[in-house]
Amino acid sequence: MGVVSAIGNSVAENHEALKAATCGIQYKLDLFPSKYAGILPFGQVHISNEDLLKTLQVTDLGVTRTSLLALYALNQALADSGISTETIQSFDTALIGANTVGGMCLTDELYNDANQKTDGSDYLGSYDCASVNLFLQKHFKINGIINTINTACSSSANAIMYGAMLMNNGYAKRAIVGGTDSLAKFTINGFNALHILSNEICTPFDEGRKGLNLGEGAAWLILEKEEDIKGRKVYAELTGYCNTNDAYHPSSLSDEGDGPYLSMQGALKLANLTADKIDFINAHGTGTENNDQVESRAMIRLFETPPAFASTKGSIGHTLGAAGAIEAVYSILSLVHQEVYPNLHFNNPITAAGLTPVTTYKKMPVNHVMSNSFGFGGNCSSLIFSKA
Amino acid sequence: MLYIHQTYCISPQQDLLQDDIERINEVDDKKLLSIEPSYEKIPPGILRRMGKSIRMGVGAALPLMAESNAIDGIIMGSANAGMDDCVKFLNQIVQYEEGQLTPGSFVQSTGNVIAGQLALISKNKGYNITHIHLGLAFENALLDAMMQLNTNPSNAYLVGGVDEISPFHYNIETLAGSYKKEDISNKNLYGSDTEGCIVGEGAATFMVNGSADGAIANVKAISTLHSTDKDLVKQQLNLFLQKNLPVGSTVDLFLSGENGDKRTLPFYEANETLLADDTSIVRYKHMTGDFATASALGLWYACQFAKTQQIPTQMFKKKASKTIYHNILLYNNFKGLQHSFILVSNF
Amino acid sequence: METAALKEQLKKQIIEFLNLISVKPEDIKDDEPLFGEGLGLDSIDSIELIVLLGREYGIDIKDPKEGRKVLTNINTMAAYIEEHRTK
Repeated sequence: MGVVSAIGNSVAENHEALKAATCGIQYKLDLFPSKYAGILPFGQVHISNEDLLKTLQVTDLGVTRTSLLALYALNQALADSGISTETIQSFDTALIGANTVGGMCLTDELYNDANQKTDGSDYLGSYDCASVNLFLQKHFKINGIINTINTACSSSANAIMYGAMLMNNGYAKRAIVGGTDSLAKFTINGFNALHILSNEICTPFDEGRKGLNLGEGAAWLILEKEEDIKGRKVYAELTGYCNTNDAYHPSSLSDEGDGPYLSMQGALKLANLTADKIDFINAHGTGTENNDQVESRAMIRLFETPPAFASTKGSIGHTLGAAGAIEAVYSILSLVHQEVYPNLHFNNPITAAGLTPVTTYKKMPVNHVMSNSFGFGGNCSSLIFSKA
Repeated sequence: MLYIHQTYCISPQQDLLQDDIERINEVDDKKLLSIEPSYEKIPPGILRRMGKSIRMGVGAALPLMAESNAIDGIIMGSANAGMDDCVKFLNQIVQYEEGQLTPGSFVQSTGNVIAGQLALISKNKGYNITHIHLGLAFENALLDAMMQLNTNPSNAYLVGGVDEISPFHYNIETLAGSYKKEDISNKNLYGSDTEGCIVGEGAATFMVNGSADGAIANVKAISTLHSTDKDLVKQQLNLFLQKNLPVGSTVDLFLSGENGDKRTLPFYEANETLLADDTSIVRYKHMTGDFATASALGLWYACQFAKTQQIPTQMFKKKASKTIYHNILLYNNFKGLQHSFILVSNF
Repeated sequence: METAALKEQLKKQIIEFLNLISVKPEDIKDDEPLFGEGLGLDSIDSIELIVLLGREYGIDIKDPKEGRKVLTNINTMAAYIEEHRTK
């Protein structure tokens, strides 16, 4: 596994920060000039673009922050897995990544190129989301199946799912799966125009919640089959997954939460688990009025009495295309260390739901964790990870 | 196994099932623009927000969904759906200096908006995903459907590929040197000795399930590759054919994504050397133009040929002796880097 | 500007701003609900109309819920504009 977020530049750093209930969201934005710098809170990764280029020794022109964060986390995951360069370049190693921003973090360059105000910047080939995985393909000389997925906030959960499907259907022997997204004027202004950004640090599942905070980051996982592990360390098993659509509205969920309900139910079915076997839910919990209410409703519908649950978006913000993958890593850390991490900034339960998330770090038996991601376009995905 | 039962296409050309199959619509200001239908099935309240790629994608899918009883999922491939709205929103950000902005363009700009709108209009709560891997966006969507059907052969899925010539995207690609600099008729596309292709746009959708009964065609196998080495690509195509062509069969028709760009021609020529002498070679990008999901229109043509066994003369690069087309091999590449092989047959 | 003329202008602006391709100004009655039934606009439209009020009439409505009351129908919108416009 590999991860970089507002609370740490490695799996170990993220783990320590989660245990310590560290909040990585600050009134700080120094990646590009914006009216909202210092005004709105963000979960910015604490590495500048210059430092990323230097640390990663990237000399190619036109590499976006989205790609650099992806490479930063992928280097960690590959080192952690111990797989050889030969294996990375094998025709049966797939790379499935997700992001929603791509090169749109470069507002000025995109504006100038798209409106033909220049002769063309170095970023002409970098604006679309696929450019991230094409950069990684070239960097690592990957020869297997490569794909880029965008289903808004559930993107990297679907990337993990697609990688697993490729393996189950014989198209890949192993899959490098994950997601990335960087802060961008585009998404900041987009979410702000929809009035779903909070001007305070977000409070997932709290009655007084006012909206979400945007974050950035990247995470990758290496999926392999049981028969290929051969004594190497295993963090967890991906036992269930499901993708559904809420089919209600372009940018909000239905009151009854059919999409979330069905994706959670479908993941349980694939994992061959009853609801009561889930020990912990890593919730989507963005801190918006709509999501947290609907997600609560769906959890109650499915579980009646939901298990322990928490959202980590109060720690790192909403990392959009990276969320599914980062939160998968956090779910797996729970399984490895038999503990759960707190949902920060919670005060009072949502009146209509009456649910209280985990609010302090604690050790507890954890055998199965469900991780949920619900996004624009009604895209809902649920993953279940089980103790190895 | 993936069986295609229905197809629909919005393209710069006429429906091949109509009379004048030899007609080729020509470029308009260097672009092959789609002939759009009237979109009766899209509610006006939803249509008003849709950019071109969204309404083409949704407009090509709804007729198929109306005919089917129930589908279990919607799987779309698109490289730049929503890109136009993305830049429109960006222009607002610059024009109004991050002030009060209208969110409509932002909501329409995410890559998954076509599949999302289709789910909304048809109230479909099943599997829903959008693949955006540029020149392999459609191929990944098709592969996804194959895997879904492998697990659930009694399910049905709507699979599609769509991209538009967004003015902003066109500007970017022009600066990048993707298109022909000189004025050229699409009728003379393959005779050109210069870099660049002619840009096109369109949408092709397919209703697929795991049942052979009544199917038009079946997609036997699909393989994708990233490489700039034409010998490696040829080697992989050879392996693909050895693995997937039934014993004793040969390729009856080679449906080529050749696009008039001299930089990518060597890949097509190398792969053609693998073909038997009696295999015909047919091309389609003088009709569709080239764009990231043009292979979706390629597959649409393959379905028409598999069903009717009729091919317009003007599409032949090489008309060989075989006139019965059971096994059709599609080969396409995007920018000489992303390659796909699709084997289609009508049994 | 007279109220009748303002309402007429407002209808044209709404149609253009929201790209209501199949609607003409004469199709919108002054007291017809804009949201839900009637014209059938949704939550994204309500945000867009608040932006319209800001750009065309210099009116700043910060709370979207407050805005929904103003946007009930053409009559309520025109009355609010007449009272609060700065352009």
